Amino acid sequence: MESREISARRDFLVAGAGLAALAALPRFAYAQAEGTFRVGSLCPISGGGSSYGSGMQKAIEIALAEVNAAGGAAGRKLELFSEDSQTKPDAAVLAAKKLIEVNKVQAILGTWSSGVTLAVMPLTDAANIIEMNTSGAPAISTLDTKDLVWRFQATNDQIGAAFAAAAEKRGFKRAATMAFNNASGIGNTEGFKKVWEKTHGKVVGSIVYEPNRPSYRTELQQILAAKPDVVVTGSYLPDSTIILREWYQTGQDVKWIMPGWAANADLVKVLGNDVVEGVIAVDAVSNEAAASYKHLDAEYQKAMGKSVSTNVYAAMTYDMVISLALAMEAAGPNATVTQVNAKIRDVANPPGTKVFSFAEGKKLLAQRQKVDFEGASSRLNFDKFGDVTPDFGMYVIEKGQIVRKDIISL
Amino acid sequence: MTPADFVNLIINGTVEGLLIALPALALTLVMAIARFPNAATGDYMTIAAYAAVGVQVVLPGSLVLAALGALAAGAAVSLIFYFWVFRALRGRSLVASLVASIGVAFFARSVLTFFVGHDQLALQVPMARAWNFGGIRVLPLDLVVAAVSITAMALLFGLLQLTPVGRQMRAVADNADLARASGIRVNRVLVVLWAVVGLLCALGGALFGAKAVVAPELGWELLIPAFAAMILGGIGSPAGAVAGAILLGIAQELSVPLVGPSYKVAVAFSILLLVLLLRPRGLFGTAIAAR
Repeated sequence: MESREISARRDFLVAGAGLAALAALPRFAYAQAEGTFRVGSLCPISGGGSSYGSGMQKAIEIALAEVNAAGGAAGRKLELFSEDSQTKPDAAVLAAKKLIEVNKVQAILGTWSSGVTLAVMPLTDAANIIEMNTSGAPAISTLDTKDLVWRFQATNDQIGAAFAAAAEKRGFKRAATMAFNNASGIGNTEGFKKVWEKTHGKVVGSIVYEPNRPSYRTELQQILAAKPDVVVTGSYLPDSTIILREWYQTGQDVKWIMPGWAANADLVKVLGNDVVEGVIAVDAVSNEAAASYKHLDAEYQKAMGKSVSTNVYAAMTYDMVISLALAMEAAGPNATVTQVNAKIRDVANPPGTKVFSFAEGKKLLAQRQKVDFEGASSRLNFDKFGDVTPDFGMYVIEKGQIVRKDIISL
Repeated sequence: MTPADFVNLIINGTVEGLLIALPALALTLVMAIARFPNAATGDYMTIAAYAAVGVQVVLPGSLVLAALGALAAGAAVSLIFYFWVFRALRGRSLVASLVASIGVAFFARSVLTFFVGHDQLALQVPMARAWNFGGIRVLPLDLVVAAVSITAMALLFGLLQLTPVGRQMRAVADNADLARASGIRVNRVLVVLWAVVGLLCALGGALFGAKAVVAPELGWELLIPAFAAMILGGIGSPAGAVAGAILLGIAQELSVPLVGPSYKVAVAFSILLLVLLLRPRGLFGTAIAAR
């Protein structure tokens, strides 16, 4: 009797494990066109980054259409293959494998969340293709040994330093940290600690929590017991929603500094104005004065019905396509991925004539002039690690409105 | 750590356990009577949670109506997939039904996200401060979660133990062929089973939605904890599923001061391993799954 039960259980465990893996496999292959440059888009359409994923992919499509409308780059059209990273490293790896092995893409664009980017990087590196991401983990810089990885977002260290600058400006004395257990969550709070502890002594408490919990009361209890005056989080939207709601219910007075991708309009909508009043959000700001930003904003408005200021990552993915296409143009016809990659700094960094669109850059490159693409997300200007340094905005949520109070330049 | 903190941890663990107990019960009932692990359990919860949000969009503010909407949606989805998919697979191997249920899970979630998108939503729940009894904090919402969950369990056990259809369900669980031979209409029993499963999932989904956030992966993420609770309690045992869920919930919260929140899930699963090593049937391994 007992053995039958055990064997039934074993059957179902084995079958379950096997099938869970099967079920997560990516879908079908698409036919490939000859003479194109194949680009894979791997944005967070679902999961923790889902507020941004669809817009990021739309921005890639907008940029791609512009490049192709201008006659392609160095004689080649761009062809797009899109997958959903689900904001999960395991799902993203399967999707990246499919993009690389089945679609034979030459670049993967738009990975969001460091866990995802770090998981996908070994695959793109092994395939010697370009990886462009919007992730913050410092390890991305050091693990990028072939210089094929390009980061359009600030690093977690930079974001952490911006958190510390915001906490400083607001006059907080006792800071505690709460981090979502992944490279980015921990990277943000560690980056904060590095700067904060130089001037203010130790943080009074810090905790790393697990995703997908129905409740974070126990974690909150631990952190509030240290009586901080501000809690700095490396968090995402769903967990931030639960944490803030449960904190409000405890009634303990404390302020919050959160990344802008967590403390956003969706958070306000779900929790209501009272709970989020006074929450401080810090995030990279787009290159708002640039013509490239204004142009994208208009296109994005047409496609998505809202301003691109609601999605800083969409501006980044737009810049990915344009800088990639300009690099292709600069590398000339039939250039290999490596040759294209080698031109990315050339077209995005000074010196050179500042250009704000692909068509503009293409014209100057044809005249053998040096160009410096000024992106919609930032001036770009990649450093030796392939990282950009954007400016940061400090926002405070007041009566349900996310109001910008300050610009932080590191 | 004060004694009050300790009590708070136990309260948190119990509430979480009572929440997980609902899908664990749904899993264990299907396992006992229809004899396969239903991987779509979590997605029934998700759909019900979205139904509750939908009702609130139309009729703002009403939590009771939202819950009723969730119950209706949960039962409907569960019955639709029974008549559409699982009925045709009756008598086939466990693996066939399991694969089908994974398919149902993905299908249900894809259809859902096609219409509602991927953004997170939330049930509008009145925001109340916790009651503070000398450091022991009790959230009114947690009391509601516990009360609803316990009531649902009491009704389920009443149904199983006191009603003719409950007796028939237990008879089918015991031996389906013998039950049919003795004149029990197995079809009718299965319809009741899937309706009950839908209702349990719906309650779980609505309560989870009220406590956390409503997102497309809501139920899918709860599947593993619910499986763990079912296995710990003994596959096919309703009482075991509840006990397993509460035990795992309390164990993981109490482990936080010792190992930190990153490893609390690991502690819960070590307890599962330990129990299974000492008692492979699980805690209540023979209740209605006696074969």
